[in-house]
This record gives sequence, C-alpha cells and structure tokens, in this order.
Amino acid sequence: MSSLIERVGVFGYLAQNAPSRWIGRTALMKLCYFLQEPCGTRLGYSFSLYSYGPFDSAVLSDLGEGEALGVLREEVISYPSGYGYRISCALDPDELAKLGGELLHRYQGNIDWVIQQFGNYSAADLELASTLVYADREAFAAEEKIPITELSRRVQEVKPRFSNDHILHQAEYLQRKNLLSAVV
Amino acid sequence: MHTRFEHSLGVMHTATLMYDAIRERSREILELELAYNKEGLGRDRQLVRIAALLHDVGHGPFSHAAEELLPNINGGDGKYKHEQYSAAIVRSDLKDVIENHPSNANYGFKADDVAALLEGSSRAKQALFWRDLIDGQMDADRMDYLLRDSYHIGVQYGRFDLHRVIQTIEAVRFENDGSLRVGISAGGWHAAEALVLARYFMFTQVYFHKTRVAYDIHLRRALKELLPKGVFPKPTTSELTDYLKWDDWRVLGLLTEGKGGEHGHRLTTRNHFRNIYSTPEVSKLSDMDELKSVKEKLGAIVAAEEAASKSWYKTGTPDIRVMSETKSPQPLSKYSTVLANLKANNQVLLYVSPEHADDARKKLNEVLKKR
Repeated sequence: MSSLIERVGVFGYLAQNAPSRWIGRTALMKLCYFLQEPCGTRLGYSFSLYSYGPFDSAVLSDLGEGEALGVLREEVISYPSGYGYRISCALDPDELAKLGGELLHRYQGNIDWVIQQFGNYSAADLELASTLVYADREAFAAEEKIPITELSRRVQEVKPRFSNDHILHQAEYLQRKNLLSAVV
Repeated sequence: MHTRFEHSLGVMHTATLMYDAIRERSREILELELAYNKEGLGRDRQLVRIAALLHDVGHGPFSHAAEELLPNINGGDGKYKHEQYSAAIVRSDLKDVIENHPSNANYGFKADDVAALLEGSSRAKQALFWRDLIDGQMDADRMDYLLRDSYHIGVQYGRFDLHRVIQTIEAVRFENDGSLRVGISAGGWHAAEALVLARYFMFTQVYFHKTRVAYDIHLRRALKELLPKGVFPKPTTSELTDYLKWDDWRVLGLLTEGKGGEHGHRLTTRNHFRNIYSTPEVSKLSDMDELKSVKEKLGAIVAAEEAASKSWYKTGTPDIRVMSETKSPQPLSKYSTVLANLKANNQVLLYVSPEHADDARKKLNEVLKKR
C-alpha cells in the first residue's frame, strides 16, 4: 500500500514530465485512474463512475495535502469560457525521486507510458477515454464479451453530448493500445 | 443521539429539494446535454430519492469508524466501500420491496437501477449526473450530516444556510470541455462558502477531535478482536447475510459482555489512549521530519498514529463551480479569499496508553528541546 508522501511524489512526477510541465485536475484524476486500473499501479484509490468519468475524492485530498506539504503548487487559470487548474511540482527531480520512493521507482515505466499516451489529451477526451475503459472493465468483471459498438453505445448513454463516431474512434484507439478487455 | 434512519430521511429530503431546484433552474441544459424530457426527469427524481434514502444501508456498526475493517477487493490494495455494500443489499434484500412496490408500476425501476447509481456504474446512464447529489462536493449527505451532527452534539459549528444553497443551486456547464456538474449561481457563493467552512470547523473541532479519534481507535481494535479473522464479511451473495448481522446492538452487547479484548475494556471503562503529540493542522515536510524524530524517540510506546488524510471526514480541496453573472463558470475560491487560502488539513496525531503518558511526555520534551 502506497503512502501519502509517495502518492504526492507520483503527482509531482506526472506534472514535471507532462508535455507542458504542468497538469490540470481532470488530467491528474484520469491519469491516476489509468495508472491504477488498467496499468496496475498500486496507488490505493477506489474509483467509481460519475457523469464526468471515473473519480475518487481521495485524489483531490492528496492533491491538497501535497500542496500543504509544499511539494505541489496549484493555481487557477481563467479562460473566457471558464477556468482550470495548473498543478506543478515545487521540487527538483532529485528531491522528487526521494519523495516518490518505492512507488515511483517501481512503477516509473507505467507512469512514463501513461504520460506518453495521454499527456496531450484534452480534459474532454480524458473524460471520454477513462469512461470507456471504466465501462469496459465493468463488462469484463461481469464476464461479458461485447462488440466495440456496444461499448460505445453504453458510454454514449452516460455522455450523450459526444457523437457516436467520436466515441467509437476513441474506443478503437484504446483497443489498439490493449486497454480494453471485454471488447471482442 | 440520532439514528442512521433519521439521517437517511434527511438526505432523501435534501436531495429532493436539490433535484427540484436544479430541474427548475437548469431544465434547458438538462434537456440539451443529457437528452432528458419531462417524463425522464420525473422518473429520475424518484430514482434519486430512493438512492438517497438507501445510500447508507451498507454501513457496518458505528458507520465510518469500522470502515477500515472492510475486506480488500480480490486480495488487492483497494478495500470495499460501504457504497458497494449498499448496492449489494439493494440488489438482494431490498430487491422485492423496490421492484414490487405498488407505486413502481409508474416507474418500472429495477433494483439494479438504484444500485448502479449508488455504486457509480455506467448502467445508471444519464442519471449518473445526479450522483453528485448523493456523493459529491456539495451533496445532500454532507449537508444533512453537518446540520444534524451540529444540532445533536450541541455545537455552534457546522451551520450554513441550506435554503440559500438550494435556492441558488444549478447545473453548470463548461464550454471548453462540455462537462456538466452541480454548482451554484453567483448569488449563492456565500452560502457555498459557509458550507465549506462548516465542514472545516466540524472536522477540526468534532470529527478529528483528539478524544473522539481515540475512541475510534479503540472501537476499531475491539471490532477487530470480535470479527472472525478481523475483517467484515464481503458484499457477496454468500457473505452478505453474515455482514448484515453485524449491527451496533450486537457489538454493544458483546462489549458489555466483556469481549473485544484490551480495547473493548478501554471503551467500557472510558480509559482511552492519550494524544501525546500532534503535527500542525497544515504540516510541511519539515513537520513530518519532526514527527519522524518523535516516533523514533518514543519507539514502541506509540500506541497509535492517526492521520487526518485517512479520515473519512477529511475536507480535501473543494471544487465548487460558481456560475458568474456573465455565465462564465468560476471556482468558488475565485470568489472567496478565505477559501483561496484554506489549506488541506494533513495533521497527524500520536497516541500512547494512559499508563505510558508520563514517560512519553518526558521523552517528548527531550526530543523537542534538541530541535
């Protein structure tokens, strides 16, 4: 089981190694989901599904504590149509490596892979991709084998604002990356 | 003293008020974004009411105090949560009463519809949007427990203007990512701020009070003694009936009979562990270094270590969306300078037994003088 300090170290690593050197809250939540569920990184969260994708409030609690500890920085950035968060790491890479400890050392390959695959995704596409993986894993746990069109249909019922083509296209990408288990 | 049933009725009532307010204020966006029509909104109102009423049926004895003793899922790191027990109970023991209730002829609910909303499953479809009312940043559960706990405990913390929150609650959409969440209109931001502060004060003054936490430790350890293999049964078909037999009354009876080992005895004689050292409420890495030194000095006489970060009631970093007058969503912390500067509580408390308290204080003074 990972410690709070180790998890905060992983958050710092995600921010430090993201293409823009920072990540938003949606990215943090969904990258943690990808790290833990399909990739098997032992973060110890319990994700469940909301209309905005897999979520565990414990991730945001850890983020707040990482900020209190002085490891992470978070600022609000305003857009004409809304706002977002910019999470960055306050430590240099060596300090961070010590903090992330065993968790960071053991799973660095997973973390680098997740950043590589999803680091450039928009918040909307991270929500969609993580919801597809979540719905697929639900089907797999229920011992279902479903065509990719059925998975897309299920996700569209949760997220009617996405077009069927867009969902299907995303699902096909995830399938090529071997992130879907129930799809035949 | 109040009961979980009383709280459950309160959550159902509050969730209904919230649902009706959002339906009234945000009907257009619900129709556009979630493809709702009048009938769908009427049906899901009832679904949310049932889910709110049943959201806590899966709790073990003494609710969150016992949650740490829920078993691991498939031997992994993650533990079952009480919501998964609630969903399992809805699908089994409550299936008949939900599906065959005379009024269900109007809705055609399956028990699985309620369970899917409670546990967070894609089977809940567009109704997942309403999950924020049951388990979210500004949910009916915490609104009810803050006010109810405050009233029954007799403290002045925990209060906020529930009616103002409900008058100003709405569905807030982000243009940039299209996501839709429960938020509040600009006119209600002070009410939302008061809700967050109510939670903060209840956490520091009640839920994470050093003596209350001490009794959680004893209860958890006594329960560990009482439970077969030290954990609750799983929410599976074969074990759920056994789980349901573990209620408050059974545990109180066993403790009265002198069971529960050392910690059962400490509970019944009120001879609780003593809080000997606490880090600041907002601890830096240097504070955690001091904690490490204190633990090394005290060694085996540290009887328990409790972190705010592990508490179910932890306050975290709220993200409540406020819809500005220009229809541009902003975070509550943009409006509230108080909340913008409120850091997460990551305090750690160390406990020793009363028998070791004097010795611990001496050692603690030695280590703190050196630093």
